Amino acid sequence: MSSRANVDLEAGPLPLRAGRALSPGAQRAVVGGTTVLGCLALWEVVVAAGLVAPLFVSSPSRIAAKGIELLQSGEVWNDVRVSTTEFLFGYVLAAAVGISLGLAVGCFRRVNYFVGPFIDILNAVPRVTFLPILILWFGIGIWSKLAVVFLGAVIPVTIATHSGVRTSEARFVRVAKSFGATRLKVMTSIILPGTVPFIFTGLKYGAGRALLGVVVGELYASTAGVGHMIAEAGNTFDTDTVFFGVLLFTAAGLATTVVLNSMEQYFERWRPQGQQR
Amino acid sequence: MTFAAPQAGGNSIPTSTPLLWERYAAFERPILGALALTIFLLFWEGVARGWWADLLHPILGSSADALRVRPIFLASPSTIAMSAYSMLFETGELWPHLGLSAFEFVSALAIAVTLGVPFGLIVGRYQYLSYAVEPLLAALNATPQIALLPLVVLWMGTGVAARVFIIALLMIVPIVISAHAAVRTIDARLLRLARSFSASEAQVFKTIILPASLPYLLAGLRLAIGRGMIGIVVGEVYGSAVGIGVMINRAGSTFKTDRVFVGVFTIVIAGLLLSELVRRLERRVGVWRESAVDVQ
Repeated sequence: MSSRANVDLEAGPLPLRAGRALSPGAQRAVVGGTTVLGCLALWEVVVAAGLVAPLFVSSPSRIAAKGIELLQSGEVWNDVRVSTTEFLFGYVLAAAVGISLGLAVGCFRRVNYFVGPFIDILNAVPRVTFLPILILWFGIGIWSKLAVVFLGAVIPVTIATHSGVRTSEARFVRVAKSFGATRLKVMTSIILPGTVPFIFTGLKYGAGRALLGVVVGELYASTAGVGHMIAEAGNTFDTDTVFFGVLLFTAAGLATTVVLNSMEQYFERWRPQGQQR
Repeated sequence: MTFAAPQAGGNSIPTSTPLLWERYAAFERPILGALALTIFLLFWEGVARGWWADLLHPILGSSADALRVRPIFLASPSTIAMSAYSMLFETGELWPHLGLSAFEFVSALAIAVTLGVPFGLIVGRYQYLSYAVEPLLAALNATPQIALLPLVVLWMGTGVAARVFIIALLMIVPIVISAHAAVRTIDARLLRLARSFSASEAQVFKTIILPASLPYLLAGLRLAIGRGMIGIVVGEVYGSAVGIGVMINRAGSTFKTDRVFVGVFTIVIAGLLLSELVRRLERRVGVWRESAVDVQ
């Protein structure tokens, strides 16, 4: 099907007169951007007009002012550092363990039979629900968050890597074996490269879970971190700081996605054009 | 060759051996799985009761005592089972907690589905609406909404309403996103055909959009259920009264470890049952799904 036909089929409602000159991508950007700005303006106006007390909903300008103030005074940096440490260490550990475990489970049937039930049980529920136990074991400091971040991220990475190995091209493996490739060679030059897209899918899911682990862990019980800052601000009715903290988490989530996407592109550059998944 | 295969006549291997092996091979997966779980539970029981410390004491001397775990840290599986039994059937104190949490969960799910599904479908149907809402949805999806919990408490207090609200907020995002995505993937030719035969919008929604979206909606439901579990545990941190999350929190702060485990396992079992329920539903609707990314 040509792209021309595609456009015709998708033209549901008649395009606006002004929008006709714009490509669909530009229309999307214009309409989306306008809506976002409109919502922010509405939020600001409603608060400025005194319809809702800023204590309850804050306002974009107050959040921005608060954010600048916190960043300049340097109060927030300690919390950011603690949260980043929890996230990075837990996540990197989860990636290392998850990828190796996924490869092991995918390559050795019996390992899969042994470990499978645990992975299935852990996958059925968000690991964040184990937080109370982890806090009992590791205290309310940084270690319980590390543990919950690790547990949250390790399962999706393991499962995705496992299914990547399972779906690797049997023909390629057979060809390599008939040319006398060793198990290690098959592993490093066929299975591993073919699994990379799956690993990145797992890593992206895992990043979300890891971030959730940081947030929930710090809200639940903590001594420092951005989540702790949010919880404390909530207790003192400091709505501006709550929103600023939430924004920090959103920014962290978006930044992780960007980093992972560019890493994926780097690892996928060997693939011929058009085969990228 | 000296180690040729045994001849049919002269072998002394009892015929039951290969049979037994074959039977084992047929059930290797469940056997090994059960074995692994049993070993794990035994190991856990042993750690909690100090079996391993006793066992290794003659060899390692006093350093084996490092294996002793104080009961406030770890309850043995048998203690947990007994405490679950007593809380369920002797004192019955688990039921009110379970009842309220289930009520919160179900009401939040009802709210999230009745608001989220129509919203997602309608937004997905109309191109400009979709353009308008997409960035907001993406931002909301990138935000861990649970971080808004202190605000919800500020708005609505710590009662049941606030908990239902935060759980519904957690659930509605995946539901809206999957409903929206579902409409975007519907074959445009079907929609055009319906319009050529002058179907009304209501008919289009009822006969094309809704049935075609069902698999996506169920996938969204599955995600929403997981989110709801988080809401139960975390949303009940604030406030007192009853609820599974409240029970866990209270048991944790008084170091009643067995009760913490009972609470967490209750949620885990509920999660297992619910995701099995969704799987059944999906099978009934005849959903073919790629299992590659079936992760929470």
